[in-house]
Amino acid sequence: MIASQEVASATPVPMDRKASVTFIPADASGVARIVIDRPDDPVNAIDVRLMEDFAAAIAAARDARPRGLVISSGKDGQFVAGADLSLLRGALAQADIERASREMQRVLDELAALPFVTVAAINGPALGGGLEIALACDKRLAADAPNVRVGLTETRLGLIPAAGGTQRLPRLIGLPRALDMILTARQLAPKRALRTGVVDEVVHPAVLLRAATDHAMRDRKRKPRGGKTIVERAATFLPPARAFALRRARSQVLAETHGRYPAPLAALDAVALGLTKGIAAGLEAEARAFGDLAVSETGRNLTALVMLTLRQRKASLEGLAKPRAIANVGVVGLGFMGSGIAQAAAVSGYHVRARDRDAAAVAKGLSTVRGLTTDAAKKGVFDRRESARVIGRVTGGPDLSGFRNADLVIEAVFEELGTKRRVIAELESVLRADAVIASNTSALPIAEIAREARSPERIVGMHFFSPVHKMPLIEIVRPAGADAGAVATAVAAATAMGKTPIVVSDGPGFYTTRVLSTMIGEAFTLLAEGDRIDAIDHAMTEFGWPVGPLQLVDEVGLEVAGHAGDTVAKARGITAPTIVNALVAEGFKGKHKGGGFYLYNGKRRTPNPRVRELLGAPTHPPAGDIAERLTLTFVNEAARCLDEGILRSPAEGDLGAVLGLGFPPFLGGPFRYADGQRQRIITALERLAASRGERHAPADSLRSRKPYFSL
Amino acid sequence: MPRALILGGARTPFVRAGTDFAELDVLDLARAATAEALARTEIDPGQVDEVVFGNVARPVAYHNLAREVVLSLSMPARIPAFTVGLACASACVAITSAADHIAGGTADVVVAGGSESLTNVPLTLTPRLARALIVASQAKSLPAKARSLADVRASDIAPVAPGIRETSTGLTMGESAERMAAINAVSREEQDAWALRSHRLAAAGWDDGRLAREVAPTYIDGHAVTADNHIRRDSTPEKLASLRPVFDREHGTITAGNASPLTDGAAAVVLASEERARVLRLEPLASIRSYAYAAVDPADQLLIAPAYAVPIALKRAGLTLDDIDLFEMHEAFAAQVLSTLVVLERNGIGRIPVEKLNVMGGSIALGHPFGATGARVVLTLANEMRRRGARYGLATVCAAGGNGAAIVLERAA
Repeated sequence: MIASQEVASATPVPMDRKASVTFIPADASGVARIVIDRPDDPVNAIDVRLMEDFAAAIAAARDARPRGLVISSGKDGQFVAGADLSLLRGALAQADIERASREMQRVLDELAALPFVTVAAINGPALGGGLEIALACDKRLAADAPNVRVGLTETRLGLIPAAGGTQRLPRLIGLPRALDMILTARQLAPKRALRTGVVDEVVHPAVLLRAATDHAMRDRKRKPRGGKTIVERAATFLPPARAFALRRARSQVLAETHGRYPAPLAALDAVALGLTKGIAAGLEAEARAFGDLAVSETGRNLTALVMLTLRQRKASLEGLAKPRAIANVGVVGLGFMGSGIAQAAAVSGYHVRARDRDAAAVAKGLSTVRGLTTDAAKKGVFDRRESARVIGRVTGGPDLSGFRNADLVIEAVFEELGTKRRVIAELESVLRADAVIASNTSALPIAEIAREARSPERIVGMHFFSPVHKMPLIEIVRPAGADAGAVATAVAAATAMGKTPIVVSDGPGFYTTRVLSTMIGEAFTLLAEGDRIDAIDHAMTEFGWPVGPLQLVDEVGLEVAGHAGDTVAKARGITAPTIVNALVAEGFKGKHKGGGFYLYNGKRRTPNPRVRELLGAPTHPPAGDIAERLTLTFVNEAARCLDEGILRSPAEGDLGAVLGLGFPPFLGGPFRYADGQRQRIITALERLAASRGERHAPADSLRSRKPYFSL
Repeated sequence: MPRALILGGARTPFVRAGTDFAELDVLDLARAATAEALARTEIDPGQVDEVVFGNVARPVAYHNLAREVVLSLSMPARIPAFTVGLACASACVAITSAADHIAGGTADVVVAGGSESLTNVPLTLTPRLARALIVASQAKSLPAKARSLADVRASDIAPVAPGIRETSTGLTMGESAERMAAINAVSREEQDAWALRSHRLAAAGWDDGRLAREVAPTYIDGHAVTADNHIRRDSTPEKLASLRPVFDREHGTITAGNASPLTDGAAAVVLASEERARVLRLEPLASIRSYAYAAVDPADQLLIAPAYAVPIALKRAGLTLDDIDLFEMHEAFAAQVLSTLVVLERNGIGRIPVEKLNVMGGSIALGHPFGATGARVVLTLANEMRRRGARYGLATVCAAGGNGAAIVLERAA
């Protein structure tokens, strides 16, 4: 019943408060309405009062016996975005959480049991508990608007749907589609929801209520059929087919999560139990699992991350000036990165003018933009007409014509100081005085890039992650002399582009590249000590990292990774490992450039024997905890970034690590992880410092034993 | 009266129909030209008050091409837009309409242009088949639908390509041009020489960068089209002489070599009031001093009307032909250009010095996307006037139906 919206309701509620849910008796049509409109919350997040009011409204409806009932929202473009996450904050006892789940199950059972037709009019996000309310109705109508999304998004928070979602969804749309929605926490746009069978009709927002009323007037109660096709129904109700579908889903989940994430498995169990033993048993399993997960380490960490992400929309602008309005964005450099940036900017509604060195390069970049956009349309991110508009918003040329109107220019040219400075100089000669220039770099200090600029104060860093359309983080770099309005403008642009921005100080590698390079450097040390390439990577993926450090270097490219490593090492006064440059010198430059730490043969990947020869040291059998040593190196470096003022807050450190670098989300991020296991981490680091070098000495803030987050 | 200024513009490369732009439709071309015109003049789409486009072969999907340009570029939806038609002078109408609105104070910034895809001309159904289908779609029952289709004959099934025959005379453009050549005693040799000149000057215009300035690369599926593709650098008098006449195989003089080719392309210019240009601190290329449209009996000399529009436009500008420093004349056929010169002189308007005429070639070499040509000649003229510091320039375009346009430009500063 939890979803992705959270609004802290700090204001005390007066005694004669306005109800969150209102019953409106039937008019001449015979159709009554229940209107959800939480007075202290813009998104109708579900809290205890809302559920109480909802129960009262249902009771009133039952007594009134109208011909039909429409459940709608009193807010424009907002249905019910899920549970109020602030409910889960603090130390709620497991029994209380379980009870809340059962209570909501009971209320929705009563809604489902009403003897007349019930229709949900979905005019905005119906997520988590919001969708579960709609699922308890006989019919669901959705408005055809971009902000309308339906989904059971609880597993993203490490939880499961616990207001009947695991029971009603499979019975409505069939087991295979329901498992897909629940296990991936997928959010469906209206048309896709219609195709899946989650909603019965999609109508223009202006006629939503009328259409819902018509259905409530005319339709009869009906029993869900378990999917549209005979195959789906068989997979839902026929035991052998069902067992097969469940087995397959389970092995897929295990392959993807390495068993680190209990929620999808718990959801699977509840779904399975409900279908084999009946709804009552399924609901019971749902509530129990929900209670377990909500107090579990993983559940709390994931919920905290989602809350941090939501809060960051506002928090990212704290201490900065007012962002300037942005309508036109310039992009210099239309390589893979620049094209991704141009596309993301166009998706968010900006007009984009792009420039690359010649017409051929522009053509290639624009074609990438087109490809990314049509792919997104195919996946249902937006419809085909919107995809044409997105493509229409990006134009380009081999010169800087059209840049005078740019409010923000993002340069994504080759990572070389001279090139970047040249681009800045060219931009300064055409841009308006109030335009912001953002440099997309993963490691070069912004102050260095801006050193020869006429007005360096308007130059900031916007470190995008690759591939831009998939990666949710942008690291905004704020050099010492930067204008606070310029920084705020970059932050606002990042948010508008649907990304989470973190604001960090200038310095080699900023935050993300610095911690990553430090960890990769440690991986090279392990390698030199005799650990095997595949043993290192395997240990890391088993631990919960999406990809091992050496494979990551291959994918990023050895030259880029080496450059970042050198920049960070040089700044910290340590010697960078030589293995990368040695490999590059022999032509091993990465996955698609002759191999690297691995050799690639089609889909097969084998460790590169040349690495061992270059290192000249023999391997030893797996020894020590590789993953712990590397992960603690990461955590320790993150703590140093906080201590040195590179990071503004532990929250941004956690967001940057998880969203940008793939730090295992179930740990909540390096700082939350440190809070949870501080003593063990300090001891382990001190032991490493003694045996492997002072670089492992715990950072001051770790040693201080003061928690990073107030719990 | 407030003057309309030409701030600048851009065109796509002009390419022979069925070649580089075969996959692009008239909207793709129009919006490419518009986006570039806006970028090069540094005009924010939010400043635009109106968009006017010319187009001749209109696909059914684009009843109002100009409006589709606005929407497909995500320009502000509040911008009204309309599409105009005056055959090959359509973009002239777009530009003079824009100028009128600016002069009349109803608009401050207008994008005016034209676009044509002669690769993708809309094919139509035979009238009998079209009628039957409409009746069938309105019929209530299946038998009634079947009955309404009963009259359709096998020969009605083939689609009809749009004709280039004059409706009133039944003559093709080429046949009409043959007439003009005969009436004005323009020889085959003179026509071939003019065509050769067009190709040579166009090639020179590209080589020294003057034409490249007005052309924006057009990007299709990962590759860029950067240049016009009809200019024949290897053309010689002998090669031209060896071509067979197309329209009158026995006695004719007009060949594929001395006529403009079927072409795909688009061009757009941005016009603004003096006030707005000053506020935006944009330097204009030229201002619109005057213009005129004239028409003649299509059965007489179909493409001679510019010779009658020129004196009217000059009179409105208070100028004579001798005051004009630079001329751009659309070259439908070499025969039409040479006939126009003859008639202007014969009617006492004056003699256009050829060294001031089409100094970077014309439509014979560059190509002729019907709807776009008017914007191309105005843009070329304005750019070259600016480069030369010329005071007055005159652009003319002839059109089917016996229409003709003449526009007088004046140095802005």
